Amino acid sequence: MQVLFDNLQVLFQGLALGSIYSLVALGFVLIIRATNVVNFAQGDFAMLGAYSMVLFFTGLGWPYWVSFVGALAAMAVFGVIFNYGVYYPLRHRSFLPVVISTLGASIFLQNTVLAVFGPQPRPLEKVLAADGVNIGGVFLDSQYLVILAVTLALVLFTYLFFEHTLLGKKLQATSQDKDMARLLGIPVALMISITFIYSAVLGGIAGVLVGPILFVSIGMGSIIALKAFAATIIGGFGDVTGAIVGGLLLGVIESMAAYHISVPYKDAYAFLALFIFLLFRPSGIFGEKVSEKA
Amino acid sequence: MMPFRLPHVGTGAVLPDMAAPRPAGSFLPPRPSRNSQAGRISIPALVVLLAIAIAIPLIPYQMTVSNYVVLMFMQAVTYAIAVLGMVVVLGYTGQINLAQAAFFGIGAYGVALGMLSGGLNFWISLALGVAGATAAGLALGLTTIRLGGHYLAMITISFQQIFDLVLVNWVDVTHGPDGIAGITRPSLFGISLADDKAYLLFCSVVLYVLVFAVWKLPDTRLGRAMRAVRENQLAAEVVGVHTLRTKVTAFSLSALLGAIGGGLYAGGFAYISPDNFNFARSIEFLTATLLGGAQSPFGGVIGTVLIVQLPEWLKLLPESLRFIKDVYLAVYGLGVILIIIFLSEGIWGLVKTIRTRLFAEQTTTDTTGIPALTLESAGSHDGPLLRVDNLQKHFGGLKAVDGIGIDVERGTVHALIGPNGSGKTTSLNVMSGIYEPTGGKVIFEGEDVSRLRPHQRASRGIGRTFQNIRLFAALSALENVMIGAQRSNNPIAPGEGALRERAMSALQFVGLADRAHVIVRNLPYGHQRLVEIARVLAGNPKLLLLDEPAAGLNQTEKMAFVELLKRLRGHGLTIFLIDHDMGLVEKISDRITVLNFGRKIAEGTPAEVLRNPDVIAAYLGTAGKVN
Amino acid sequence: MRLRQAFVTAVCGVAGVVAVFGAPARAEDTIKIGLVNEATGPNAEAGVFTVNGAKLALDEINAAGGVLGRKLELKLEDNQSTNPGTVLAFSKLLGEPGIVAIIGPIRSTQIQAASPTIAKAGIPTMIGGTDPSLTKVNNRWVFRGRPNDSYSSRVIADFGINELKSRKWAIIHSTDAFGAGGMNVLTAALKNAGITPVLVQGYTNNSQDFTPVVLAVKKSGADIIGSYMTNSPDVGIFAKQLRQLGVNAQWIGSPSLVSVTAMNLAGPALHGIYSVADFTPDASAESKAYTKRYRDTYKIDPDVYSSWAYDAMKVLALAISNAKATTPDAIRKGIVGIKGYKGVEGEYAFDDNGDGLRGYNVVKNDAGKVAFIKHINFKE
Repeated sequence: MQVLFDNLQVLFQGLALGSIYSLVALGFVLIIRATNVVNFAQGDFAMLGAYSMVLFFTGLGWPYWVSFVGALAAMAVFGVIFNYGVYYPLRHRSFLPVVISTLGASIFLQNTVLAVFGPQPRPLEKVLAADGVNIGGVFLDSQYLVILAVTLALVLFTYLFFEHTLLGKKLQATSQDKDMARLLGIPVALMISITFIYSAVLGGIAGVLVGPILFVSIGMGSIIALKAFAATIIGGFGDVTGAIVGGLLLGVIESMAAYHISVPYKDAYAFLALFIFLLFRPSGIFGEKVSEKA
Repeated sequence: MMPFRLPHVGTGAVLPDMAAPRPAGSFLPPRPSRNSQAGRISIPALVVLLAIAIAIPLIPYQMTVSNYVVLMFMQAVTYAIAVLGMVVVLGYTGQINLAQAAFFGIGAYGVALGMLSGGLNFWISLALGVAGATAAGLALGLTTIRLGGHYLAMITISFQQIFDLVLVNWVDVTHGPDGIAGITRPSLFGISLADDKAYLLFCSVVLYVLVFAVWKLPDTRLGRAMRAVRENQLAAEVVGVHTLRTKVTAFSLSALLGAIGGGLYAGGFAYISPDNFNFARSIEFLTATLLGGAQSPFGGVIGTVLIVQLPEWLKLLPESLRFIKDVYLAVYGLGVILIIIFLSEGIWGLVKTIRTRLFAEQTTTDTTGIPALTLESAGSHDGPLLRVDNLQKHFGGLKAVDGIGIDVERGTVHALIGPNGSGKTTSLNVMSGIYEPTGGKVIFEGEDVSRLRPHQRASRGIGRTFQNIRLFAALSALENVMIGAQRSNNPIAPGEGALRERAMSALQFVGLADRAHVIVRNLPYGHQRLVEIARVLAGNPKLLLLDEPAAGLNQTEKMAFVELLKRLRGHGLTIFLIDHDMGLVEKISDRITVLNFGRKIAEGTPAEVLRNPDVIAAYLGTAGKVN
Repeated sequence: MRLRQAFVTAVCGVAGVVAVFGAPARAEDTIKIGLVNEATGPNAEAGVFTVNGAKLALDEINAAGGVLGRKLELKLEDNQSTNPGTVLAFSKLLGEPGIVAIIGPIRSTQIQAASPTIAKAGIPTMIGGTDPSLTKVNNRWVFRGRPNDSYSSRVIADFGINELKSRKWAIIHSTDAFGAGGMNVLTAALKNAGITPVLVQGYTNNSQDFTPVVLAVKKSGADIIGSYMTNSPDVGIFAKQLRQLGVNAQWIGSPSLVSVTAMNLAGPALHGIYSVADFTPDASAESKAYTKRYRDTYKIDPDVYSSWAYDAMKVLALAISNAKATTPDAIRKGIVGIKGYKGVEGEYAFDDNGDGLRGYNVVKNDAGKVAFIKHINFKE
């Protein structure tokens, strides 16, 4: 019986971590779809969101929800800056320069925050006052429950937004064929800006939510982002559903393997899973057949 | 749940990246006209480089410098060797590699473990480390069979991370995070290299030899193949470059160079630990490569020296600017972005641009003494040169090509026509091997080639051009054509000289021999078309597949083009082409096949076909509306 | 023309290189002490504390007239928080004329990396790394200004067994050099008391989830956890999950448990746990006085990064003053001759290996405040 509870506990923990990967992966996918480029600074969006929260809530003493909204607003502004500073000048170049540019942005962001906030990790308040609930020996952390709920809500919102609003459809059209979208009178540059804003806000939410658990630190985003990127590939490159499922799956694989096989190699399981997928099903769970671009 | 996905696979008529403004593999932005070949250096520059290169490792012999300076040099020299690997894989071949520190580490651990755990001597340990890294590079390169771009970035990152975890956690073998101390330096030909100065001199000599090799690489068959892959992988494959082997070779070479650097580093510092070989170091190698200029070994070396020296220079800042020191890694990140945006070929690229501006270079080439082009299109096989049998190509539910059969007779010009979306380009793509058929067969000279890769078909004598020109944009016209000439089984004499001569003949044939050294992106559109044809001709094709070769040409150019085709037919070459211009098709074709909705609706001589009511209906757009 | 141009450029290039590297030496009247610190990189903050501590000692010594009638001077060198950076930093200091001794870094791997360089140069170096092997690798020039981990593990075992009356031990350690080394010496210390741990569990630094570790502790039935954890966030996450999943075992571990960051991050989850610490503000009269001076000077609380450097500087000054010379051999003799010097970290008595301290404080997290419990000292 205890074994079952323990497994359930690990499963819950895996799903919870996985949902963080999903949230960041969602931000990844939106940018991949809009610009056809992987943003290697995606994890740092989460880091920046969390530090904005630290600044507003802990530093300036604003009320929790005001700080939360403030942090997301800051991220929205940052999304625009990121677009024009890192992506836009390179929009006509191939993927490689853009990828390297986002890598540079990642180094820049981490070290700038390091210079401003110092290397000490910061704690952050949970959304709910309660620490969690204990159901039959399985402890459910309240913050993880919030994260699971928010992830679900955001996935639903993203779906409705893209499928049932005009703006969403314009964004979709932009991601499918920029030239055609331009001919249809869709302001492509604006659409890409909006994508970056949305992606940055998603990253910010992930950061603020994960801060109380993993604490707010300079490197918090990089670890999550690598896993989230692996999740997007496992789920199917550029596929929204795939990103969510891939993230959850990765979280569970990691936790279960750490529990049943060996703890120190925990991070390796995610990458092994990735290798296996790349070898045997490179298109991921939901992806179409990969065709190499020449 | 969500239907929106990336449009990975184009529909019938469109190749995957038709809409992309620039070839996906290209690393270069548009830039001013320039005619030099990659890596060509003028004599004064060479003298300067040589003088500095010889002077630096000898400095410790001439004057007393601190041990610190020697170690600094040692770090720069060993890092630079690893960066040369990045030049090969990233600069030449256009493949991203974020695991160079892991290869560096395999070399270093090879030396350390071989000597201290295995009791082997330095050189054998180094060889083992280099072999191990090369094998790892080979394996990573093989993942590019189906995956490129972002996947490769992720795979190399994963490899780097797993390597790091293994180093830290597999304590029994790697000594874990403590690292390994007490690595000793070897002797060479009885001369001990234990002394810092001697060892530095030795490492410098290794570096110079490797710089020279990497500098010469672009003008070899392999080097040209690499650059072709970088510039346009699909075109490279179609003209006969074994792109997979080229990429795997590039990765292996990169790993090999990384491991040599790592092995020498281990000997130089006597102590190694996992944190010397982590992801951050890979990023450092990448930055050094980009900063100096990814396309040249000299750029790589310059970049490395700067990256190694940068923290030192920041220490020299006056007190009022000391804050920069605290944020220098941030500056570093910002630098990467700025370099990529404004200095995409790095410092070396800048140097070359300035030099080109100062000393105008030749734009025309001496064309005397070029032998006339010969085409060996004879074959032993009787019957049609190419037979397409019940060919099908479906994309999901879309039947782009749905059971067509065509016989292309030897020595004829055969045209394929049909309205937009009728499956012409898809058919051509299946014939040249870009797509695998869903059903049916492609038979060339009696051999079933349906499942062969494009480069294998090229090696059998199938050549093609593209509707949207696919040249290797950053290479000269001559280099483009030489790549066409170096396809396997091309019946020409071995050696660089023969390749060059063959390429010049092909350029002469299309009338562009005097423009041989111009970078093709600087050529006018019509000339680019001709270079693409010369590229195929240099490979001695038996069958020439042309996809709308006259598209975009003006009337004069079209006339000249028709003449060219007639000359080719005169040489006995078999040509299969798609075009929309009925006048042109009628003028030169022996036979015409008409497609509509992926099916053959008519075939015959131009006169027969153009009178056919079904064909007329198809072109007037009524055929589709029946039923 | 072109050739001449090339020649001139070449000459300029070589001359430039020479100019950069051939800086002339100049003699000065001060006694120079080098300090290799983590001024940049991931541990930059610790580096600031180290410099603070060393400077405080330096100012006190100089205010009291210096050593042998000469003032002390500190030469800083950044090691970028990396091993190769440390080797370079040492090489640079060793190349500067007039430096008589060096205060090295606090991290064991960095010292391991630099050890051959130090041995070759033969210059007395104070180190803060606590890996026991550092002073036993045939390097007669390193002297440790902190108690090594064999003592921390002996204190952990001693206190856990005798004071907390626990015999079922779970050892939790990070898999880095510090954690793995600590695990080894703690296992050995427990073995001396006839105890085999019921669980030895490693984890990689920066783990996001400790559930498998916590469940393993739970399953093992351990009544005490002995830990060597490197990073404060890991301590925070582990502590929280430990309490969430209802593990109430005693816990005593290496100093990171009572680091300001860990206590700040974990909050109540760390209340009631014990830790060893080589520096505790109210452990002795010396540490109390030091804490006051440090606070007055820098307006923040001191920690181990500053206190050990403070002691190291004082020890060097004392050694030079006793030896009445600044040659390496004299300083070495001076250091080894120090017996019974009361520093802020405890009473120094150097042995021939170069180890100066043999004891640790045991402290308790008393509802968020670090309370001094006792000092446990060993003779050898």
